[in-house]
Amino acid sequence: MARGDAEFVEFARSASGRLTHAAFLMTGNHHQAEDAAQTALVRTYASWSRIRDEDAYGYARTVLVNHLVDGWRRPIREYPTDDLPEQRRGDVADEVATRRWLLDILGTLSPRERAIVVLRHYFDLPEAQVARELGVSLGTVKSTGSRALQKLRATGTPQAQGTCR
Amino acid sequence: MNELEQLRRAMRATERPYHDDLDLTVIMRDGRRLRRRRRLAGAGTAALVSVLLVGGIGLGVRWTRPSTPDQPPGSAVTGPAAPPSATPPPTRLITPPPTVGASGREFLGAVVGTGIRYGTDERVFYVVAVDLPEAPGVTIGLMAGRRTPAGELVDDIVINDVRGTDRRPGFHEIGYDDAAPSDPRPAVPTFGYFVGPATRIVGTAGGRQVEARLARWSTDPDLVVFWFDPVDLAPGVRLDGIVARDAEGRLL
Repeated sequence: MARGDAEFVEFARSASGRLTHAAFLMTGNHHQAEDAAQTALVRTYASWSRIRDEDAYGYARTVLVNHLVDGWRRPIREYPTDDLPEQRRGDVADEVATRRWLLDILGTLSPRERAIVVLRHYFDLPEAQVARELGVSLGTVKSTGSRALQKLRATGTPQAQGTCR
Repeated sequence: MNELEQLRRAMRATERPYHDDLDLTVIMRDGRRLRRRRRLAGAGTAALVSVLLVGGIGLGVRWTRPSTPDQPPGSAVTGPAAPPSATPPPTRLITPPPTVGASGREFLGAVVGTGIRYGTDERVFYVVAVDLPEAPGVTIGLMAGRRTPAGELVDDIVINDVRGTDRRPGFHEIGYDDAAPSDPRPAVPTFGYFVGPATRIVGTAGGRQVEARLARWSTDPDLVVFWFDPVDLAPGVRLDGIVARDAEGRLL
């Protein structure tokens, strides 16, 4: 295996989890999320010699988001509770309730709102960078984020919904 | 804890050990293929530039063709020859002027118009000559390009076989657009060609069946060019499967 390949393998192993989860948050579908993460990693590997010394993770994230944005015209199916967590981390019932609450919340948002929320609050990107990566204005990011937050407040927290024990 | 913090925490708390789900061997294999295609497309563009400069035309990466009206009087119009109930919109085949030989890429036969527009440009497909020393049975590739109102053809992506022969019956390479996000050109619909009496081609993606648009190549009617309208199938989305059927509905 070439040196670059070894570096890519290491990168892919460390980045694939967050990329896939971000895609899941944007689509609500594990299968679609895995496909999107795989596509992002394929394209990242194809450009690896050029980007490996730069921000490879940022490149992969941008590819992922744009790939999903391109797919917004397709219907996005929701599978709110399609499977249980594979690892027991804390209380399973709490985790299932949190997952359901999260998908309910994200399900009230438009695809663009979802993408903005994920980039802003999952990847912790500054608003200006979110605007650049999505190709929208800073004002759009601010107003969309604000709308999403209003929906969030209207929906309440898991505890407020009574979904947690 | 306010709602926003709750949301942030929930997004992290629901992470799974996804890395086990991805096959790095497949990812790297597909990445190498993509890299090879990009190099092939780049080499093709370079060859075109050389040819044009030798000819003293100097048009950069554009291959200049005489202006062609959208529907010239002599243009051949063909449908996909599918049963009426399953017939996609007819496809226009625009007969080009005689092909000019080139030491790099050579356009062969008619340019296939799709009706897919990017402003004033139209997505088109055309067969080009390729030369692969390691695969002497492969002499043609299928180019996805754009036709400008002035009749110029702008190359985007070329696909071709890399082994065997380019006329063996069945499906050949399928072109997926894996352009980088910063690429300024419009996305290329998923496309390819099938050799055989296909009158209907249907792909499957995400559990949905998607009908391809078809056009026969003017030089060899056995070669059926197909593409998926980007409204039906987003560019870059991988097909889970694809089948071709003849006029009687038999699987080919």
